[in-house]
Amino acid sequence: MSGRQQGRILPRDTGAAPLDVVIGVMAFLAALALGASLIADRAAETWRAGLSGRLTVQILPVAEGNVDAAFATETQAALSVLRSTPGIAYATPISQAEAQKLVEPWLGAGALVADLPLPRLIDATIEPGSPIDVPKLSQRLKQAAPDSLLDDHSHWIARLKSLAEVVILSAYAILALIAIATAAAVTFATRAGLEAHHDIVELLHQMGARSGFVARAFEWHYLISALAAATVGAGLAAILFVMAGGLEMAGVEAVPFLPPLSLRFDELAWLLAVPAVSASIAWATARLSILAALRRIY
Amino acid sequence: MIRFENVGMRYGPGPEILRDATFVLEPGSFSFLTGPSGAGKTTLLKLLYLAEPPSRGLVTLFGRDLATSRRSEFPAIRRRIGVVFQDFRLLEHLSAFDNVALPLRIAGRKPDDYTADVEELLAWVGLGDRMQARPATLSGGEQQRVAIARAVVARPDLLIADEPTGNVDPDMGQRLIRLFGELNRLGTTVLIATHDRGLLERTKAREMRLVDGRLVELRKARL
Repeated sequence: MSGRQQGRILPRDTGAAPLDVVIGVMAFLAALALGASLIADRAAETWRAGLSGRLTVQILPVAEGNVDAAFATETQAALSVLRSTPGIAYATPISQAEAQKLVEPWLGAGALVADLPLPRLIDATIEPGSPIDVPKLSQRLKQAAPDSLLDDHSHWIARLKSLAEVVILSAYAILALIAIATAAAVTFATRAGLEAHHDIVELLHQMGARSGFVARAFEWHYLISALAAATVGAGLAAILFVMAGGLEMAGVEAVPFLPPLSLRFDELAWLLAVPAVSASIAWATARLSILAALRRIY
Repeated sequence: MIRFENVGMRYGPGPEILRDATFVLEPGSFSFLTGPSGAGKTTLLKLLYLAEPPSRGLVTLFGRDLATSRRSEFPAIRRRIGVVFQDFRLLEHLSAFDNVALPLRIAGRKPDDYTADVEELLAWVGLGDRMQARPATLSGGEQQRVAIARAVVARPDLLIADEPTGNVDPDMGQRLIRLFGELNRLGTTVLIATHDRGLLERTKAREMRLVDGRLVELRKARL
């Protein structure tokens, strides 16, 4: 009878069910925080890559005279400046209809918007890897089209980037707090478990078991139940992220202008770290607290 | 060698339960400890298996003075002692097999290595077909035999048994005493606390009697 299964030294039902719930909930929250940090990280990257690769030129409406004629000449002048600038891949004016669509989320559609003196917009794409001297370009545009304003979005990017960084740092802080709370809950539970199984511990001790043997019996118990509970918690969070992705694919936008709240598959894989880390925390905490308690008792 | 010199024991401020106990258990000896209930038999055994430190006096186990031994040495000493507790102290969630295997697991042995030994021993005490049974499903006598198998499985240098035949019929009692005798022939020092006069009459072993906390040597071993 080789490879025989050894019975677990501690009974399976160690009254740890409440601990399983705590670890499950903690893992769920940890997975949400981790997911949020991944989304924020991806968004920050998108903002860096996407927005900074583009320039927008606004042609403001002139105060007096023929507005449309001024728009037409200044737009043409700005376009020719942009197109003659090395590093600009292409520049194209945005039509009135498109411009109205852009302000629609704020102002709504309809006659009001149609009557608004919207600036003319030119969208320019920078060739990847080409540095553009923004102040110099701005000056040249001003000379060609006095009512133009060059926007390289750096102001927005900086703010979005710092927002994303705040989200990421907050997520890390939350993860650290969850780790501490998990460790505290496990410590509490192992002490209670030691109390509940005092007779078993005493017997093992009587038979000459060293503290390490007793601690191993406990730490395996907590490792396995934490792994199971945290897998459930993180799994639920993963399902939420996948559902958010499904909604987006179905055309439901979670929040306009914010990055999608779903995770890619490679990012979902990161959530596997949650049960692994939870189980490690439970294992290490159980071991340390059992060894400390045994030192006090025996 | 196991030696008690003027050992006294009291719990807290209570009366002294054991008074000036002095005796020697020679290696490989077989002794009985008798006496009325409450005479201090269980207390004396507890001191022997290191469950309690004595209030006074000198206890020497396997040539070591316990008072000067380090705490870290105790597990190794305890592994050389097999104990049959009066209340068995089996782990309820483990099978008879796993209960008996426990001392071997504690000693760091692997299942492949000990399975045959444990099965053979369980068969010897008549539990060959109850190996996977939990203690709750075993009769009192069967539980006692599991407890005895657990105490002897690691071939301890000292076997201490507290009323080991209290729950079994005379035939099985005889069989268990033969098991102890077998172990004793292999070199284990055996000390059995019992009320069972019949058991005493059938052997020629030494008898120590505890009366009111004092130890009296009633009978030397007859060879």
